[in-house]
Amino acid sequence: MRLGDFKQAIDLFKRLVKQEARPEWRDALAEAFAGRARILAAKGMFEEAETALSKTAAPDGTVRDPLLYVQCLVKRGQVHKAAELAVKCVGNHKDPAATAPQLAELAAALWLVAPVPLAYPAERQSEGGKWVEHAVASQQSLTAWIEGKPPQEIDLLLSRIPLRSAFRALRLILKSLMTAPNDPARARQLLDGIPPESAFASFRLAVEAALPGVPAEPVASSSPSSRAQQVFAVEVKGLPNAASQSLAQLVKAERNGPGALLSFLASQTGALPTDEVKSACLNLLPQAPDRLRQFESTFGPLSEFDRNRVLALAAEAGNDWERAEQRWRVAAQGVEHAADTEARLSAGVIYRHLARRAQDHPEIEGEGTSEFPCIEYLERSLQADPDHLPAVMQLIGLYRTNEQDKDWHRLAEEAARRFPEESAILLQAVDSAIARKAYKKAVGFARKLLTLDPINQAARQRMIELHISHARKQTRSKRADLAWKELAKAAEWERPGAPSFRLCINQGLVGRELGREPDAEARLRQGVELAGGGVAGWFRASLEHALMNAGEDAALLRQELVRAQQAAAPTKEGILSIASAVSGEEARDSNKAVAGLIFRIRGWLLKGGSLAWSAAEFHPIAEMFRLADAYDLLGDYARLARLREPKDATWRYYQVVARAMGDPDRLSWRETQELIEMAEDAADRNEFRTASRIRGFIVGSGPDSAQRRGSRRISEVDLADFDDKGEADEDLAELLAMSLQDTPPDMVKRMIAELGQRQAVTALADRLRTSLLGAILPVKLRRELAQGIVDSVIATSGRPVHE
Amino acid sequence: MNDPFTVLGVGEDAGDDEIKQRYLALVRAFPPDREPERFQAYRAAYEALRDQRKRLEAKLLRTNDAALSRLKLLFLAPSKPVSGRATKATVSALLVEGIDRACAQAGSASEP
Repeated sequence: MRLGDFKQAIDLFKRLVKQEARPEWRDALAEAFAGRARILAAKGMFEEAETALSKTAAPDGTVRDPLLYVQCLVKRGQVHKAAELAVKCVGNHKDPAATAPQLAELAAALWLVAPVPLAYPAERQSEGGKWVEHAVASQQSLTAWIEGKPPQEIDLLLSRIPLRSAFRALRLILKSLMTAPNDPARARQLLDGIPPESAFASFRLAVEAALPGVPAEPVASSSPSSRAQQVFAVEVKGLPNAASQSLAQLVKAERNGPGALLSFLASQTGALPTDEVKSACLNLLPQAPDRLRQFESTFGPLSEFDRNRVLALAAEAGNDWERAEQRWRVAAQGVEHAADTEARLSAGVIYRHLARRAQDHPEIEGEGTSEFPCIEYLERSLQADPDHLPAVMQLIGLYRTNEQDKDWHRLAEEAARRFPEESAILLQAVDSAIARKAYKKAVGFARKLLTLDPINQAARQRMIELHISHARKQTRSKRADLAWKELAKAAEWERPGAPSFRLCINQGLVGRELGREPDAEARLRQGVELAGGGVAGWFRASLEHALMNAGEDAALLRQELVRAQQAAAPTKEGILSIASAVSGEEARDSNKAVAGLIFRIRGWLLKGGSLAWSAAEFHPIAEMFRLADAYDLLGDYARLARLREPKDATWRYYQVVARAMGDPDRLSWRETQELIEMAEDAADRNEFRTASRIRGFIVGSGPDSAQRRGSRRISEVDLADFDDKGEADEDLAELLAMSLQDTPPDMVKRMIAELGQRQAVTALADRLRTSLLGAILPVKLRRELAQGIVDSVIATSGRPVHE
Repeated sequence: MNDPFTVLGVGEDAGDDEIKQRYLALVRAFPPDREPERFQAYRAAYEALRDQRKRLEAKLLRTNDAALSRLKLLFLAPSKPVSGRATKATVSALLVEGIDRACAQAGSASEP
């Protein structure tokens, strides 16, 4: 019973009761039936729940959980039976105190619908006796109101229903209805006394909707929602016959769907304001595009913009994203150069919409000006509406993610000019300047940012980093004196009591260059301690040293690093701290130095493979090994982790990455298949990050792909040897097609079968992109080529089953 | 009926000021402490219409029932408020609807 296995509990208690009908076992059997009924009702199996509850009936006919029993009966349309049961339960003191008032109110509502014969209990002043008295008064009041009796008469009857009665809600509703013609605010206030969970709540809402609206109330909230509420509104509003009929027709047309509603409204242009009818019909058109002709014959031709917009929305509703894209594009192109500001903003809105949709719907492909349709549409949206800050931020983010550095820097500069007071943009400008190694510019942006937002901690940290970077530059140019000054400037941005370990280390290293001993060494050691000490601390110091290309401390750092490795075994924190150190922008750019340093602590790192890493912890470590070309270490860690957790696919994935040395072109066909399955399994488990990581690796764009380091793409400049670019594309496509001649048709066939024709084209185009020649082809051409390959495979082997 | 124009009860051509005035009037009439759900709906609608670009988004990328709601109101306009009487069948239908909802709510509250 405690585990909620009521089915088994019923079986067991039945057997016990059969052996000996002990009262506690009978009681437990009833409880098990009630538990089973609750589970069945929660699944919507009301008939079965009712049967289970009926087995809990006591000799006097009461059941366990009468509220649930009533619910089951109501759900099955047995209102009379429900009323009988509910009335029987009122005042019998067997129900829990918490549900008794709820049950009494439910019984009240049920009895008003199905007035089963009532009998006064022996004790007329008892709870049950009072309920019967109030029931009679309520029924009389309701009938009096329905029959249109004068308010005084109804008031007299209502006064017999106390406000603590289960029929209280009915008293409030009838009082509200009588008060409404003279004092709608008071009528509304009376209704506020009926809570939304009450059985009378629907009645309350209907009355509320029929009341004259308060000045501030919008149309929506006073519009009746259910069929019964709509009928009630028509009845109590006392509409003239014609209006009542029109409203009934409108309600009927609405029920018959948008097309019928549009036709009905279009037929009402004489009786109703044409502009309103036209606007209502225009809003219905996307749901009923087949009524376009009818609309135009009634209201005149639609503008090209509206026509395309309506058809685009209709296509979206039908999930036809190709058509939707085409229609949206035509609509936007018609207004993007208009003199009217709103028209240009509309184009911006549409292009941003396409950019958003392109992320979820691969059918949206753009016109091929960018490899990524999302980027293409955001670019076009900014041409139409250059002041839309979120689009600028999103586009900057996309440029960065997709390594379109030139575009990133250009847009960041432009944005900093256009939005000089936006801290988010200035922070982007700082990042862009740092990435270009334009340190002075970065300092300028950062200063501007801190003027706008002086407590911006990220900007403060960025300033320190900037000065350190600049100091490194000076040290590399053998100007340690200038570097020292730069570090002093960095110290000005430090928070009191929270020294930066990187600043301490750099001050120590530059100080030693300048011969400022013994303070410099003390500062260096302080920095190492702040960085966690041990191998992690000395690794940080060595990395800073390598980045500034200083000469003085090499021996000291080497000795300390060796000593630290001998002194302590690796810990998770230590290794993660090292991984975090090498993940910095400048460290990533100096992967040779990083590789050298990782090599120096190789033995120590090797021991770390036996630590119990989780997949989330391991990703940055894998990235560190990739940066350092330490695929043997990656393989070792993955192998040991797989021994610990053989079911976790992450480890097998990293074993494959290590074997292929981060190069997807070295994957065997079997490994590729294995990874595709792994990605699909991960997606099925909703582990989308893992799925995307694996897929990214397969196509050579993921974080674990070695190709990210040295892009294998050939720049456009390399095409200069060709006189004509179109000719060059054709020649390259031919070359590529020749190089793909040995692509096994079986592989393409399998891709088509697994992914469908369209996705197979996308996947194949992706493969082409990662190939040496494919990288330089325009997206459109690459896609056409992929399409051609897929078409030829289908032509030779028949239509794919999956399609 | 949850498009922002209909929720706030403003026309599709309403400007910044009109929308703001309308929103503030609604919040005054239905303060969040008394009507938290209504307030949330009004807030969301206001956010969806608060500037020209957002209004264009709501207008161009989605359909709305604002005009239809106004037309319904026109149908009801000539009526004398609450002067008529409902039939017993209508009242019974409303009560059954309420009973059904109350049971469903009670059921979901006591779900195992």
